[in-house]
Parts: sequence; C-alpha cells; structure tokens
Amino acid sequence: MISDAEPVVSDQSERGESGDDIAISCRVRLARNLAGEMFPDWAAETDRARVYNAVSKALKAVRPDMHVALVDGFNEQERDVLCESRLISKDLLGNPVGGGVALGAEKSYCVMINEEDHLRIQGFASGLDMHKAWCVADEMDTALERHLKYAWSPRLGYLTACPSNVGTGLRAGAMLHLMGLQLLGELDRVINALERLRLLVRGICGEGSEAAGQIFQISNMDTLGVDEALIVDRVQRICTEVVRQERNARARLLCELPLVLVDCLARSLSVLKNARLLSTAEALEFLSAIRLGAAMKLCTRLQVSDVDDLILAMQPGHLQKIRGVVMTSDERDEQRAVFLRRQMTGVRLKSTKV
Amino acid sequence: MKCEICHKADAETAIHKEDESGTQELYVCRKCAAAATVEATEKVAAKSPRDNEPSMPPLPLMGMILDAAFEIVGRALSMSDQSCPTCGITHNEYRKRSRLGCPTCYETFAKELDSAIFDLHRTRQHVGKVPLRAQAELRRKNIEDALSEAIKGQHYEEAVTLRDRLRQLDAENDREEGGVSA
Repeated sequence: MISDAEPVVSDQSERGESGDDIAISCRVRLARNLAGEMFPDWAAETDRARVYNAVSKALKAVRPDMHVALVDGFNEQERDVLCESRLISKDLLGNPVGGGVALGAEKSYCVMINEEDHLRIQGFASGLDMHKAWCVADEMDTALERHLKYAWSPRLGYLTACPSNVGTGLRAGAMLHLMGLQLLGELDRVINALERLRLLVRGICGEGSEAAGQIFQISNMDTLGVDEALIVDRVQRICTEVVRQERNARARLLCELPLVLVDCLARSLSVLKNARLLSTAEALEFLSAIRLGAAMKLCTRLQVSDVDDLILAMQPGHLQKIRGVVMTSDERDEQRAVFLRRQMTGVRLKSTKV
Repeated sequence: MKCEICHKADAETAIHKEDESGTQELYVCRKCAAAATVEATEKVAAKSPRDNEPSMPPLPLMGMILDAAFEIVGRALSMSDQSCPTCGITHNEYRKRSRLGCPTCYETFAKELDSAIFDLHRTRQHVGKVPLRAQAELRRKNIEDALSEAIKGQHYEEAVTLRDRLRQLDAENDREEGGVSA
C-alpha cells in the first residue's frame, strides 16, 4: 500500500473547484454561414475570398484588437502550433484558400473562417466551465450578427454545410483525462454509457482522431431541437459526473490496484528519463501517466499544469518553435527525447510501500 | 423530352449513332436505345467476322446487360435530376461529400434531408437562438399579417396604429444598418 503519510489525492482547494486535474479545458463552438453564399467546401476561390473579406471586416468592427489573418500567410510551423494549441482544426489547413483565423488577445476565443462552415466561433475556458465558454462564444456571435446576415430558417435554425450541425450549430465539448478509469478497466463502460446518452466521444484532436493518452473530448451529438443553454448545461452536468467517476477510479486504484498504478507511473517515468528517441504518440502516452501521477501527488516536482505544458511543448510545431529550427520527423523524435529527459531531471516517484 | 427515334416514349438516355453525315447524339427511350445497340452490334459483327476475336455475347444476354445498365443509369438520373437552383449541386454530389452546397440546398433537397435530419437529431424543429435580423423580420411579418386582417375587417384605427408601428420598425432597421452585410 502507498504510505498514509503521503498526500495521495489533492484536496478540493488545491485542485480548484472545476477539477482541472481531470477536466483539462472546455470549448463551445458555434457554426455559422452567410446567407446567399455557397458553403466553403463547394465554393470557388473567389467566393471564399469574398466571404473571408466580409467576415474579417465584421470581426475588426466588433473587436478591433483581434488578429485576423489568412492561414496561408502562416508558415508550416506556425500552423502546427495553432493546430496543436487546438485553436484551429486540420480541416482548415486542408483547404487554405480563403481560410482564415481570428484570434482574441487573451485566447479565450477564436474564429475560424471558411473551415467546414463560413464561421466557426469558439469560446474556451480552462477546467470544466462550460458556461463561461458558452458566454464567450455567444457574445461574439451576437456582436457579429449585427454586421453579417446569417443563413437561418425558422424551422431548421442556423443552416450549416453538414446537416449534423444544423439548428443551434453548437458543439459544447470538454477535454477529460480519464486514465484512472482506463487502468481500472472501466473506460469502455463509461464511453458506452456516454454514447447511449447521445454524447460524442472523440480523441484529443477532435473528429476522427484516436484517443491518445487517454484524453477524450466529450461533446453533444444533437444540435437541433434543444436550446443552447440546455445543451451546455447537459454536457456540463454529464461531464461533471464523468469527472466524479474518474476521481473515484483514482481513489479505487490506490486501494485496489496500487501495484498496477505505481508500475505504470514508474515505467513511464523511466522511459521519459532514458529514451533517446520518442515519437509524439509515445511521449503523449507516457506524459499522460505522469499527469495522473502529478494529479495524485505521487510525483515530486511536477504539478498537473507543468505536465499540460509539456504535452503541448513536445508536439512537432511547438518543439520546433522552442528549438528555433525546422526539423525532420526523425530529428524531432531525437530532440523530443532530449527535451523530455531534461524536463524529467529530478522528478521521482514519492516513496510508497508497494 | 420525347424519344428522338420513336417520338412516343420519354427519352431516358443519350446514344451516339453513326450515319453518312457523321456521329449524331440522340436522346432516346429505353426500347429504341436497345434496338439501336443491337443494330450497331450486328453491323460490327458483319464487318469483322474474324474467328480469332472473342465473340459478342448472344443477343438475349446483351439485352439483360442493357437492362441492368439502364436500371443503374435510370436510378442515377432520377437522383441527379434535381439540382439546387442557387448553387447547382445535385443530391448525388451532396451524398458523395456529405456537405451541402449552399443554404438553399435545405429547401431543394428538403424531402431527402428530412429523414436524415430526423435520424441525426430525432427532431425536425429548431429551438433556441434567433438572429436579431430574423427576429425583426418575424416581428415585421406578424405586424403585416395583423394589418391585412385589420384592413379586411375594416378596423381602420387599428390599421393606422399597425402601419405606424411598421414605419417605426423600418426606421429602427435603417438606423441599425451600418454594418458590412455580406
């Protein structure tokens, strides 16, 4: 058993009320399109350029401090950084003509232009504060609609390129770290239950991505027939319950499977301290375990927020930005291992009786 | 469009026919297309009776192949017939990419989309936010409806009040129109 003297699960005051050790962040996205314009996927380059100009003009009128730019104005490394920071999607990069991004100064909101829809307005919040993210996105949306005529119908609401988003055009999602449930072997049960509740469970990079590092995005499936406040409230309530289950799983791990837990942490730390080559996916798997260790106060020197910073910093775009050079995939694997070895210096597992 | 050979049945497909003046494109019915193909096949068979070439399938088999081909083409034609008047996207094109062409596609393909939307969301009616412009339009429409009712019922005092409200709404809209409407 782990020593009683060691504080194993941090208390509420240290963790913050939103439970940031499990809920990494949340986001509310609103899909909007301009009336009378073709949707981006089918639009000609001139149509996309016209939409970009209209939207960027409106954005500058609403928030003069906002940085609005075309994505093809960014170099590959800058695009990767935006993508890894989850401010823009890979879809936006896939079709860059007229594709744009508008970033708020404090990065609590971001607008993608000419992605799947003409506008993807996103509000962000750390932890599990879905209401805050919704308010940010809603405020921006209301301000913009004074300058832009949205495609909207009384029956179907906001008209979107894909009927799966029609209605409110709202996707409220939280990013949760569910490693405790995974180690206990209860993750599939939780995911099945979420899907039965008509929630989408996706990987770290959104639609179509794998659940690397046991980090999941959980969001609403239905966008039609339920109003925005109810969607946001429902996702918040269900995610709060998932966070509670993950917290229980972590507590149970200590009692029921302490050897499994400590073995997982020790192996991960050992690899991060000794590996000479590390791919992004591998590093994410091991850092995910270290994140769990930090959250459960089983690792010295590391806070959960430190591990979150490392998860971002070790990704290709960020790594090249830190190093200040463009690297091949092999070079990045080597430099990632060097970077993480250095970051893990002095980090060790707290003494346990296991 | 009627068949350009028999001038009776509806044209379902296009064939290319060779005559003295060159190749001609004709829009024909299923029966005439089959007959033209058999005729062309016989001509080719008569022209090149070489033993070492693979023989054509017997005519009944040709007919079956043609029927199957018509089935597929006919289905595709009936689906792709409908295209959006605003963007020109057909329903088939939408199905291939799973993305509609423009907002008007929701009206154009309403019949096809209705069940898909219901399957996705288990409802067909939006609830929630209404854009400010749409709110104003709905308000205006309600007043217009009430105004025509008032005129029809010869309630002229009420009609004057409603007319003034419409004017007031228009003035408010004019004041708000300072943006960069796309």
